[in-house]
Amino acid sequence: MSSEVQTRVTTEAKTSLNASQRVAVLVGLLTLMFACLPFFVTKPYLLHMGVLLFLAVIQGQAWNILGGYAGQHSLGHAAYFGLGAYTTVMLMEQSQISPFVGIWVGVIVGAAVSYMIGAITFRLRGPYFVLASISVAEIIRLLALHYKDVTRGAEGFLISTVPVLQLGPIEVDFIGKRPFYFAALIVALITTALSYAVQHSKIGYYLQAVREDQDAAHSIGINLQAYKCLALVISAAFTAWAGGFYALFVKFIDPDTVFGLDLSVQILLTCIVGGIGTLLGPALGALVLIPLSEILRNPKGLVQLGLVASDSSVVRVIEERFSNAHSFVYGLLLVVIILFAPEGLFGVLKRLLAPARSERQAS
Amino acid sequence: MTALLELRQVSKTFGGLRANWNVSFSVEARSITGLIGPNGAGKTTLFSCMTGYYPPTHGDVLFQGKRINGMRPDEVCRIGMVRTWQKVRPMAKLSVLDNVMVGALLRTWSLRRARSIAEEQLHAVSLDKQAHMLAGALPIGQRKRLEVARALATKPELLLLDEVMGGLNPAESNEMIALILQLRTRGVTLVVIEHDMRAIMAVSDRVLVLNSGELLADGAPREVAENPAVIDAYLGQRVES
Repeated sequence: MSSEVQTRVTTEAKTSLNASQRVAVLVGLLTLMFACLPFFVTKPYLLHMGVLLFLAVIQGQAWNILGGYAGQHSLGHAAYFGLGAYTTVMLMEQSQISPFVGIWVGVIVGAAVSYMIGAITFRLRGPYFVLASISVAEIIRLLALHYKDVTRGAEGFLISTVPVLQLGPIEVDFIGKRPFYFAALIVALITTALSYAVQHSKIGYYLQAVREDQDAAHSIGINLQAYKCLALVISAAFTAWAGGFYALFVKFIDPDTVFGLDLSVQILLTCIVGGIGTLLGPALGALVLIPLSEILRNPKGLVQLGLVASDSSVVRVIEERFSNAHSFVYGLLLVVIILFAPEGLFGVLKRLLAPARSERQAS
Repeated sequence: MTALLELRQVSKTFGGLRANWNVSFSVEARSITGLIGPNGAGKTTLFSCMTGYYPPTHGDVLFQGKRINGMRPDEVCRIGMVRTWQKVRPMAKLSVLDNVMVGALLRTWSLRRARSIAEEQLHAVSLDKQAHMLAGALPIGQRKRLEVARALATKPELLLLDEVMGGLNPAESNEMIALILQLRTRGVTLVVIEHDMRAIMAVSDRVLVLNSGELLADGAPREVAENPAVIDAYLGQRVES
């Protein structure tokens, strides 16, 4: 190797180290901000939005492992979310099993079912896999609606209270939003760390090779079925956890909310907006979409936060013009992103930061 | 001594089409075998039968004396036989180095180890300067070399090259010929599909000719080049030395 190449390789290595350090700093700052937030703002509305935000990050990160790295665009992740939710709630309501145990049973159920589904649907490629993933989720939703004696059908489950969690000497009482807020924040961090670990391991390289060209990946020794299933199982496990947690937080589930196609689309949108196949894309997507959708649906929240006065015209305009059209605003945003930033917000952010970086190097 | 690779009456049919018919030959370790024939003769299909992409309709494929029909491509690669693709398949959104690292990761879990194997292989095909480019941005000649480097990174015993010189300029072809000859000294056995007769004559110890899916000739390069049946079916004229 010539010395010129040698220097280039080392500088490249240095920049990439700096890049991951920058990402770590960004994640650290965001975490610190979110961790301190409840001590300054006690408005339940904000904490509520925070929990939904972290749940969206968890789901987005989970989807991204399969959809972003391995390129298998599932539109059926609601299946695993719903399985997590229903397992947790049914074990609690019908068998009196603590939800803090039940949620992990939900994770196992979600992972096991995903493995079986993967074994069948991963024979299909591209759009055929997407269609199969939708059908499987719809089948599960219809089963949940149909078998009323087991699932209570469309009636769903209403949870009255979540029991106290005994963590050694510490008792965590899930009353109010705060415990939910911190628990979801921690798991959102864990999924982000997991995504980083996957990206920087043999598994991540193999998944990306599968995404780029399955036949080529197969020919250089990658067991396609095994790696696609591995990505799906990891992805489904975290999605199922989010489902169980959502059920305990919102305290009501029915087949249409937790198994519906809307939810699968929502997860995918988070990733598209933020940037598919990137580490922070799902988090950025959630940061934009969750507040947006909450405010469009319920602009009075802005008043609660004290951001606008109760008689403000902003609230009135949103309520009159957009409250029934939040999907429209969503759709519009999606079109704009696909047209002008197909690599998502993370890509835009990187582009904006790139010139600054080269200047710094030049100086 | 058992041959490294042996095909016993291998046939592959697609409905009524005989892509390969009754093909038998064996490949000795550390040899270079040229595989030639007109377009549509079934050369690439034969590679696909050998590497697990298609199960042969009849016949057996033996690698190191072991029957490997029905093995998946990744298993075939793991036991030491790897192919390249005539229509190159770079992983476009990964860097050139990452492409080769994916190959190297077959034999290790360590990214550092894989990176050093990959750098070695990139150096062997003179792509070290392009290591950090996206594979999709490479011109065709370099893509062909990337294809070879990625296959080599899996540490194969037997390397199947499918027209790696197509689209190369004469200088690049010469480099590729040198690389192929050098690989043999490193203990790699090769089967080479090529249309460039000059290259085939330069590297092959032995030449196989496929025509309409059947083996038409099998022998030393000069012998085959002068075989009237081969000239008729494929070459069209004698190769002047």
